[in-house]
Amino acid sequence: MTLTQRTVYILPTRAGWMLGATLLVLLLASINYQLNLGYLLTFLLAGCSLVAMHVSHANLRGITMSLIAPDPVFAGARALFDIQLLNPSQRTRPALALAIQGSQQWVLTDLAPLSQARVQLACLPGQRGLHPLPTVRAQTLFPLGSFCVWTLWRPASPLLVYPSPETQPPPLPDGASETGHGPTRTAPHHHGEPDSIRPYRRGDPLKNILWKQVAKTGALVSRDSVAAQQHDLWLSRPLTALSHPEQQLSRLCAWVLRADQLGLRYGLRLSGQDIGPDHGPQHLQRCLRALALA
Amino acid sequence: MKLPGTLNQLPRDTRDTLFMLLVIGWVVAPMLSELPLWCGPLTGAVMLWRGTLAWRGQALPSRWWRLGLLLVAVAATLLSFRTLLGRDAGVTLVVVLLALKTLELRAQHDAYVVFFLSFFLMLTNFFYSQSLLTAAVMLIALWGLLTALVNAHLPVGRPPLWQSARTAGGMALLGAPIMLVLFLLFPRMAPLWGLPGDAMAGRSGLSSDMTVGNIASLALDDSVAMRINFSGPPPAQKDLYFRGPVLSNFDGVRWRPSEAAGVWRAAEADLQVQGPAVAYQVTLEPNQRPWLLTLDATPSAPELPQGRARMSAELQWQQDRQATALLRYQATSYPQFSYGKNQSPARLAPYLALPSGFNPRTLALAQTLRREAPAGEGANSHLVQAALERLRTGGFVYTLEPGLSGRDSADEFWFDRKAGFCEHFAAGFVILMRGAGVPARVVTGYQGGERNNVDGFWTVRQSDAHAWAEVWLPGQGWQRVDPTSMVAPMRTGSFARLEPQRGVLAQAILGNVNPRFALNLRASWDALNNRWNQWVLNYTQAKQLDLLKAIGFEAPSWEDLILLLCAIVVTVSLLGAGWSAWERQRQDPWLRLLAQARARLSRAGLPAPDNSTARELAEQLRAAQGGTSTEVQALMDWLLRLEALRYAPPNGHSSHKRQLTTLQHELRRLRWGV
Repeated sequence: MTLTQRTVYILPTRAGWMLGATLLVLLLASINYQLNLGYLLTFLLAGCSLVAMHVSHANLRGITMSLIAPDPVFAGARALFDIQLLNPSQRTRPALALAIQGSQQWVLTDLAPLSQARVQLACLPGQRGLHPLPTVRAQTLFPLGSFCVWTLWRPASPLLVYPSPETQPPPLPDGASETGHGPTRTAPHHHGEPDSIRPYRRGDPLKNILWKQVAKTGALVSRDSVAAQQHDLWLSRPLTALSHPEQQLSRLCAWVLRADQLGLRYGLRLSGQDIGPDHGPQHLQRCLRALALA
Repeated sequence: MKLPGTLNQLPRDTRDTLFMLLVIGWVVAPMLSELPLWCGPLTGAVMLWRGTLAWRGQALPSRWWRLGLLLVAVAATLLSFRTLLGRDAGVTLVVVLLALKTLELRAQHDAYVVFFLSFFLMLTNFFYSQSLLTAAVMLIALWGLLTALVNAHLPVGRPPLWQSARTAGGMALLGAPIMLVLFLLFPRMAPLWGLPGDAMAGRSGLSSDMTVGNIASLALDDSVAMRINFSGPPPAQKDLYFRGPVLSNFDGVRWRPSEAAGVWRAAEADLQVQGPAVAYQVTLEPNQRPWLLTLDATPSAPELPQGRARMSAELQWQQDRQATALLRYQATSYPQFSYGKNQSPARLAPYLALPSGFNPRTLALAQTLRREAPAGEGANSHLVQAALERLRTGGFVYTLEPGLSGRDSADEFWFDRKAGFCEHFAAGFVILMRGAGVPARVVTGYQGGERNNVDGFWTVRQSDAHAWAEVWLPGQGWQRVDPTSMVAPMRTGSFARLEPQRGVLAQAILGNVNPRFALNLRASWDALNNRWNQWVLNYTQAKQLDLLKAIGFEAPSWEDLILLLCAIVVTVSLLGAGWSAWERQRQDPWLRLLAQARARLSRAGLPAPDNSTARELAEQLRAAQGGTSTEVQALMDWLLRLEALRYAPPNGHSSHKRQLTTLQHELRRLRWGV
């Protein structure tokens, strides 16, 4: 976002009102004592404050702010997001202060001519889910502190907050032991039936590939064997053995992270959404995202 | 230990605090000589203490210290002035408060208090002097304060002070036109409420009474009393008698204006003027006195910017207020005059009165002179001549250091010391004359002055203060007699003043300089000061209205001033608004061109939404018009070239700019009526 006349606001600060009062006192003294030099001083000071008002405004106006899309965080953790400030003009813009609206935790920076700077702000998102980023306030008191020039910016990019993982989760449910409990389909073909055939998936061991079939049809197919499927771990709410939905999600989250750490293939089943067994960072993010939005 | 290096190594807080203390010292220092003796050392000590704490990085003193010092300051102020109100007491207190405030410089809030008190103290400096020098000193002070203020708002890192100084200087430069407009047009008002009594304190000048020895202090005072600008050729130096208070009431020690002087009866002056008139303009330095000094004799009232002037029966002009600010007035005088020819003996009686028991020897001398004088009409004039002859031949000496007089000052003058300056001469002469039965009185004022070769103004200094005598002669009225000129003719004839002895320092500095060069230097400086006075300090409501007249107002009033001020404010705001609108639209010139093309096409009936591209517009043109006519062809060509400029730009900035300009020109020339 580029800050323009429309988006930059200006109001006198308390110090500004004090300066105004001082000017009034100076003017009264000049009138009463008929001091022409006093008039000169008063008016020069008034001129300076007017110029300061303009300088203040110009200090913020024209800056382009852009958001570096924030990484998702787990609930309860600090979300850090970077704001890039770009100064397209030839003059320095000193003493810029940025903060989350209402937080008073100012990050200060100077912006050299024709340069950019990156400012990191932090917020504490409450719950999991997709949140809009908080409003950012950028302001400057430069040069005299008599005027506060500010802008409010609500970055368009949302912040994804994963559920907070349970701190000490129980061990991962054993896929095999869950067999027969219905919800998991860990071994759908365990009655000695011939292995079913499915298209090749990355990561299938070479020995599972039906080479004859491949030679016939030209498509890579794998044997969907029980053995192959025994590594697959399906995670779902009922397995958590918890009643509170958020706690269920927390435990699932912890399990997903654990599974990823162990390099297991795992799938996630949530109401209305199944994520097939897989592994790798992209899969992890998919699962976490699903948990965040569940 | 190299100081600059050390300064650069100071922590930022320390550096900023020291700088601020320096600036505060600069603001306060010029005033200290006007404030009570204890004020300077106390302020200096507190600030030195604060500086040391900052230098060593130590903690600030406890509240009890500040409270204690504050009590001490208040008590000392009360002792010095017997009040806390009033100008000098107030200024004293504020100076000390400012110093004490630096001891609790913690939050930004405290810093603001220090800044704003300092701004106020800058103004109080002008109570004591509004000279060019003071203005220059305060300008630097303002720069310093703004620098410190800007520096306080640069929280990141350790920005060098010169950077803040540059910002502050730039702001002051940009603020100067605003200052100028406001100064020229802000209506000058009369004081809103009465000035405190001590507003007039501490200025030297003629006083309303004379104890012999008074003017000696003025003789050493080189400051300017007034400046005269003669419209025509000036009178001879020896005729430059500027009339001040007339002192006719003598109580043995002190000369005072006569009781009747409070009653203004100009008609009784019985003034007749003849010969050529001398017109001139006086710029009187503020002297806190009501007197309007004019040349003898001025029959009609001097033109004042405000208020009016009255003349006493003793020819003295006075306004109904005190000259608290620089005052300029226009006067016309006639060096040839006579007055008081027809005074009745009853009216002359006060000018013969002498306190009994004083100056017996002088009175005896007067009786002797009286006996020797011929009787009849010429007796008085003979007596005057005899007394002057005595002064001329009696071995009298003109000196600024005649020593202190005792009780019978005239006796000592005539018989013992035979030395003195104008006061002694005038007072001794008048006492002798009264003793001999000649009505006489002392007149004080200024005599002489010197022409500044740089700007042609005459400068009259306090050292030109003078006292002379007036005697009444039958048939001639009051006549000026300057007894001093009998002894020191050059005192009144040319401008060779009796130079007071220079201080050691001045001698050391000026001793080696070519006197002519030093004189020229002083003349230039004086002329500069005079300009300053004429243009800045003397800028009154009358001059404001003159300015309006020059601009074209026929009968300007202060409402016109406000009107003009508002007009300027409105104009400037409109310009500002226009500029900001322009800046807002000053996007990309290419985008602007495209937007203009869209606007023209949509006026011609072609749908041209805001997101349409140049090529789309061209296609729409072709679809709507079939692309047949040359005009449409030209439009399409223009649009495609516009597109090409953006997406297949030519090499080099200048050729890009050239093409853009061409397209802009063509936009205006093309016919968009499709």
